[in-house]
Amino acid sequence: MGNNKTHADQKYIEALLKNDTIVIKEIYEKFAPKVVGYIKKNSGDESKAQDIIQETLIVIYKQATEKKLVLTCPFDAYFFLLCKRKWLNELKKNTTKEVTINEEVVSINDESVQYADETLVFEARNELFAEVFDQLGKACKELLKATFTIKSMEEVALKLDQSYGYVRKKKSLCIGQLTKMVQSSPKYNQIKNLL
Amino acid sequence: MTPEEKYELFEQKVSGEISSKEDETLSLLIDNDKIVAEEFRVYKEWSSYLDSNLNSTQEQSDLENNLKEAGAAFFETKSTKKEIKVIRIPSWGYAVAASIVIILGVYTFSKGGATYSNFVSIPELSITERSGEDGLIKKAEEAFNSKSYNVAEKYLSELLKNDSANSEYLFYYGITLVEQDKNREASEVFVNLQQGNSGYKYKALWFEALNQLKQENMDRCAELLKLLPQDAEDYQQAQELLKKL
Repeated sequence: MGNNKTHADQKYIEALLKNDTIVIKEIYEKFAPKVVGYIKKNSGDESKAQDIIQETLIVIYKQATEKKLVLTCPFDAYFFLLCKRKWLNELKKNTTKEVTINEEVVSINDESVQYADETLVFEARNELFAEVFDQLGKACKELLKATFTIKSMEEVALKLDQSYGYVRKKKSLCIGQLTKMVQSSPKYNQIKNLL
Repeated sequence: MTPEEKYELFEQKVSGEISSKEDETLSLLIDNDKIVAEEFRVYKEWSSYLDSNLNSTQEQSDLENNLKEAGAAFFETKSTKKEIKVIRIPSWGYAVAASIVIILGVYTFSKGGATYSNFVSIPELSITERSGEDGLIKKAEEAFNSKSYNVAEKYLSELLKNDSANSEYLFYYGITLVEQDKNREASEVFVNLQQGNSGYKYKALWFEALNQLKQENMDRCAELLKLLPQDAEDYQQAQELLKKL
């Protein structure tokens, strides 16, 4: 995908990064109706659609922030696919509900599917990492929070009244611990080949 | 190499503080041991995850709030529109039908250029909700419908004094301003209406686009036209105008 030209719809990704109200409204006006229609046809309502759309936009924002997401396909199909799969996952969680799937309202090309897959794997990774980070000991959590928010390791060392070398070593051990924890998680095996 | 040493090497690599000798050691380690290579990959994922998630909490929460507002406005407008369709069709319907007839009858888009006069179609003022100010309303309607926009502006402005949020008064007041080339004041009125959830939300957007067209701000006009949703009354006209821009 990296060889292709950036699509004009990259403006929607930029709008999320810049929190641009006007273009964000445009996203809702242009792309939400299709999602709402799909969710309503498939056992949902407008309130569920509103949640799915918001969650999807946040995931896209996160991926854009961390992985510098650059679209080479239209936003429409990519966004719709993401919302659709999120909604289907939501339905699966609630097995008591009868699920009738009414298929497709947009033409989907392979590139959109690939983008949507990457975003979904990214989201799965985030959920797993958040769970694992929660299980980390308090001392490590605090040290990592300090090192990643303050940025300057010298400043962190000063704040924690420790040497620079100690803080860096400790930071590496804490991330090492997280690495081990994640690798031993069964969920990791499901997504590791996709990361 | 102990796990501690390995992680420290990982950290030096990730933070760009690795010496060339250590870099060589790490490369050898990764090339020859798939387990270490996999560990390093996960370590880098963690670094990137923590950097992004522990840092951007404020920005993310600002975005979440903005999305909530935009989402709520979008979904509210949808349901308001449905209500309006039921309650207001008798009054609106005539105005809409009249506008369409005028538009179809008078304007030949293929021949005209992208100018305000080629695209504007002023709806008739017929105040739907009568209050205790019947006399003033009647004068406003007469002045507006006879195109005495300076007079209509005064009457509508009087009506707005007692009912400043009345979107119908505001919309027609905005038109009187555009027609008198009071473009800046007109923009204030239309932008205000666009941000609300009244039935005039998209009519106001359309007229603000025309207001920009009148000032020959073509780029701004086009930007606004693109915001009109497909189900807006003026969508087709907006598309025609966009083609010409």
